Amino acid sequence: MQFQVMFKKELLENWRNFKWIWVPIVFIILAIMDPITTYYLPRILETVGGLPEGAVFSIPMPSPAEAVGMSYAQIGSIGVLIVAVISMGTIAGEIRSGVYEMILSKPVSYANYIMSKFSAYSLIILLSLIVSMIASWYYVSLLFGDIAFSTVIVSAVFYTFYLLFILSITVVLNTLLKSPGLVAFLTIIIVIALNIITDIFSHVLTWSPLMVSNHTLAFLYDGSLTSELIGSVSLAIIFTALLLVVATMILQRRAFD
Amino acid sequence: MSLITVDNLTKTYDKKDVVDHISFTLESGKCVALLGPNGAGKTTTLRMLAGFIKATEGTISFDEDELTKDFRKFVGYLPQFPVFHRWMSGFEFLVYVGQLADLSKKEAEERADELLELVNLKDFKKMRIGKYSGGMKQRLGIAQALIHRPKLIMLDEPVSALDPIGRREILNLMRELKKDATILFSTHILNDAEEVSDEIILLNNGKVIEKGNINDIHSEQETVTIHIAFSEDPKFVMERLKEIESVFQVTNERGEYQVSVHQLLIARKQLLDLFQKENWPLTKFEVAKTSLEDFFIKAVNK
Repeated sequence: MQFQVMFKKELLENWRNFKWIWVPIVFIILAIMDPITTYYLPRILETVGGLPEGAVFSIPMPSPAEAVGMSYAQIGSIGVLIVAVISMGTIAGEIRSGVYEMILSKPVSYANYIMSKFSAYSLIILLSLIVSMIASWYYVSLLFGDIAFSTVIVSAVFYTFYLLFILSITVVLNTLLKSPGLVAFLTIIIVIALNIITDIFSHVLTWSPLMVSNHTLAFLYDGSLTSELIGSVSLAIIFTALLLVVATMILQRRAFD
Repeated sequence: MSLITVDNLTKTYDKKDVVDHISFTLESGKCVALLGPNGAGKTTTLRMLAGFIKATEGTISFDEDELTKDFRKFVGYLPQFPVFHRWMSGFEFLVYVGQLADLSKKEAEERADELLELVNLKDFKKMRIGKYSGGMKQRLGIAQALIHRPKLIMLDEPVSALDPIGRREILNLMRELKKDATILFSTHILNDAEEVSDEIILLNNGKVIEKGNINDIHSEQETVTIHIAFSEDPKFVMERLKEIESVFQVTNERGEYQVSVHQLLIARKQLLDLFQKENWPLTKFEVAKTSLEDFFIKAVNK
């Protein structure tokens, strides 16, 4: 009951500050940008010119699966940044402004407070990713050839868990820091650091939540559900849940000055 | 009947006791002012009572035994600087916090309408809070504190930041609320405490230095000083003044006589009678304002 009330408030807030509109749009742009420019690149170069007479070059056309992979590459970098930016002030901003004190003076459970925020942003991220991948699928089928719609959508669902894991890192930082900007900055730093660690030890850390993106691409290429994909998605879910519990505990114990 | 008993409540920040072993009880139905200069620990005390921060030491017990786990259910709290979701309307915010305090949506809406009427914001029901003025926000803050019909209403500096009109409105509102709730409010303005409260708790440096019924404190302060000056000092003026029975001390400072008296009404009559009879050239006769102000300063400097 209380969760629903707070969840609805988050949805309404994100509607009034237009996050429900701009986040999906930006995701769509990210998803279709690379496949489209890649497709038109030879023609663009031809029109712009500047190449020496008789120069011949051939850019190999990517396969449809590779083209969809380009969408994920963009979302994996700039999309992650957007996840951090949209959620950076969700708790930290409320603590800083003082609204937090007003809300928490009512008998509100800390878990509901955290969960309502996490759920509301999860929904935006899931929706944005799904619509952007539908857009990607549409253009890729149009320009590069057929790829199964279901494969693309299932890959997007897997990928969502990767983004939710990042969202949970932002939520924890939200409970620790007062500055939204710092929350976003540190989230990015942590994701980069985790990526480097995962890359270095990639042979041991095949189930790392950060490997979800790699395994999703593999799924896209051959459509097989590997144990690595299932494993890393499961770990991503477990870590997300743990981080949310940690965030709740931090908020409960935090002494406010 | 006591509503809350606070025993040895302490809050320590960086090894400094911001609130230092304070104890008091709040009687049900009373309006109590938590009085003290800035930095005395008023806000910290209120925030602990609101269940918002945990005490380092000491206990707070409400009389409803089985409910003591979460005070927030029967405490309505107005922070010193109330901040709202700016994108909500006043009505939406009240319904929202009402639901957070376990009212059904319908109950919360009815209560929100009632309260907007009470705090005189009915016409701004649908306006975004971002457009509210300071005084309107303060009134909305009081409304949100009352939404779940709390047993105890705690207001942190409810009038300090307001202009005289806003201040008057809030004080009148508090007088209304006093009829059927217990109020604890903090202030550093003595007048406000005198105007609406039945009791005061005087805090300084985190300690309670005085508490009690406001009338008792007044009567302790019943000695009054009268400043008197003449265009030309009459003969034996000191002696003559001291002869009056209600006068117990006369001093002369810069040509002015400071006459301390016990009972103002009687003393004033006796003094004026004397001046008239003797035809002394009186130029100044002023009853100094001794009120809680002096008491406050004395107590704080102790």
